[in-house]
Amino acid sequence: MTSSGLSSHQHKINMWLQLLINGICLGAVYALIAVGFAIVFSVLKFSNFAHGGMISACAFMGYFFQARFKTAPPIWVTIIVTALCGVVFALFLDMIAYKSIRKHKSPNIYYFLASLTISIIITSILNVFFSKNPLAFPMIFKTTTFSVGSLKVSKMDTMILVISVVILVALMFLINKTKIGLAMRAVAINPDTSKLMGINSSLILVMIFSIAGSLAGVSGVLLGCKYGVYPDLGQTMMVKGFIASVIGGLGSLGGAIAAAFLLGIIEMFWTFLFGSLSTPVMTFVVMLLFLFVRPQGISGKFAKEKV
Amino acid sequence: MKKTISCLLVLLVAFAVFANGAQEVKSDGPIKIGSIQDLSGSASNAGQPNAWGAEYAVKVINENGGINGRMIEIYTQDCKNDVTEGLNAYHKLVDEINVCAIIGPALSNPASAWVELAGEDQVPIVGHFMDEICTTNPDNGATYEYMFLCEPSCAQQAEDLAEYAIKELGSKKFAVLYNPSNAFAKAQTDPFVKYVVAQGLEVSANETFGWADKDYSAQALKIVASGADTVFLSDYLAQMVIAYDALRDAGFTGKVVGANTMAPPFANQVKNTVYDCYFLQNYDMLNPSVGNINELVTAHMQATGTTSPQVNVGFGWDAVLVLTEAMKKAKDPTDGAELASLIAQTKDLELSGGVKITMNASHRTDTMGMYIATYDADKNMVIVGYEKVE
Repeated sequence: MTSSGLSSHQHKINMWLQLLINGICLGAVYALIAVGFAIVFSVLKFSNFAHGGMISACAFMGYFFQARFKTAPPIWVTIIVTALCGVVFALFLDMIAYKSIRKHKSPNIYYFLASLTISIIITSILNVFFSKNPLAFPMIFKTTTFSVGSLKVSKMDTMILVISVVILVALMFLINKTKIGLAMRAVAINPDTSKLMGINSSLILVMIFSIAGSLAGVSGVLLGCKYGVYPDLGQTMMVKGFIASVIGGLGSLGGAIAAAFLLGIIEMFWTFLFGSLSTPVMTFVVMLLFLFVRPQGISGKFAKEKV
Repeated sequence: MKKTISCLLVLLVAFAVFANGAQEVKSDGPIKIGSIQDLSGSASNAGQPNAWGAEYAVKVINENGGINGRMIEIYTQDCKNDVTEGLNAYHKLVDEINVCAIIGPALSNPASAWVELAGEDQVPIVGHFMDEICTTNPDNGATYEYMFLCEPSCAQQAEDLAEYAIKELGSKKFAVLYNPSNAFAKAQTDPFVKYVVAQGLEVSANETFGWADKDYSAQALKIVASGADTVFLSDYLAQMVIAYDALRDAGFTGKVVGANTMAPPFANQVKNTVYDCYFLQNYDMLNPSVGNINELVTAHMQATGTTSPQVNVGFGWDAVLVLTEAMKKAKDPTDGAELASLIAQTKDLELSGGVKITMNASHRTDTMGMYIATYDADKNMVIVGYEKVE
């Protein structure tokens, strides 16, 4: 028997369950980033690495919005305001970086390079003004965890999980059940033909960037609440979001979410069993395996539609 | 012929007079010193007050007559906690500005790249780069003749804390959680573990994380399962916050002891209640009767508009104090070799924290201990002890 009154066997089972819960929670964080990443890829076919920089910038926007008030406004107010700021920011970046690439119908590699450059610029600018010491959002919850039997669940992670699921469902509904979604899918397959069909593909692209910007806003606030606000916040998390979107199938929202949870759970168990130092190796090996064995990722649905 | 000889003699006399005059001008001119700090980048929160403290010390010394009547000019460069930037800054100061000594940063990474250069150029560097590799050659144990540390080294600090945990907190079973890629964390964690084991106690979990990791819950669960009653944390503030929350979220209710990065604003950053938290501090800022650290911190806050007290101003001040005390005794305060020899002889010099420093043969100090601090229920820092392992 252990000090908690559980048998050794029960204790082990509890430990595995706790790891599973922690893995799901970690996956929820990755999912939030992966969705923003996947939505841009689904239409524009490039990995928008600027998303990481935008998350960091939005986290600072959210923090300074809250700091303006003597009594911090409810977190949902901050999330909405920051999401709107994210939209404006994304449209600004589209205007200065991507619009001319689209205009000249340049190859996708230019999008990729532009997004990478933007991300580095944003992070560098933030580094000039802020140190790596994190800024803290006011506490959302009085206690950090709640208990389910003998297991502990993080309240913050649960909130991120719920928001990720809500966002996913809303996006899925938008893409699969609305006319705008139909237009998005059409532009994703062929923007020129879509234009001939009467779809304003430029407007659709603006909408895609707006959605990605709002997701960066939501992610910035939530990740800022969880990890603190500092310049590299989005950049470091971006890698995991990218891996999740590759494993899930680039451009597939559902795949990205599923892969994010899978990644979170695998990482948690691997770290527990083999230590953290080999975890990044394992993560990239899993990504490589998917690229070799199933390049279309877990879902692959979007890829088939495009074909 | 006579004319030529006369002309040559006149020229020779004129040259001798001019050269002598120039020498006199040089010996009366300002003494140039450099300061390399992390003004931007990942450690700017430590580097900026450090730089301010050094510049403020120079200002005060100059206002009080300088070094035997000679003013000091301080040239501050940014090393951005980056080795290459640090080397560029060093070369600019030594090769272009011709400084005779340098006030080093609080971080060991950039400083470790100058250890050989400082010897070659005979430029003493005084600072708070507490990793032993900045003062001692790890390959042969030789002291770097031109590198000087003004606070207890990493190992000394770790041992002070371990001693306090064992004797005062009654800790029996330890665990450590750190990033082995972070030189600062490793330089404290290894000696901490070594000291604990040497006392016949157990380190039941030795858990690590990487730079990119943001979730330490798996490691925290292992620590809880190991039955440790005390966890040692050593890293930068952001990682300390995540580590502390991960431990408490995993159900760890024991004591958490850690590096000085656990100082404010740590208590306001963590999501969990702060309790049973003990950490290292260089100064007792809460005691106005000790040294002049309070005065320095207040002056810094007033001058810069900073709202929270920054102890690093004391680092900059102390390093300048050690250097200028040697300059006062030197025949030529711009002679790096003479300065290095005199800094090495520093004895019982009272620093801003009220503690006296004496340099040992390793160009570190055995005379200084570390304060141990904790947080009260209102998240205010409280000094609870002063520890120095003999």
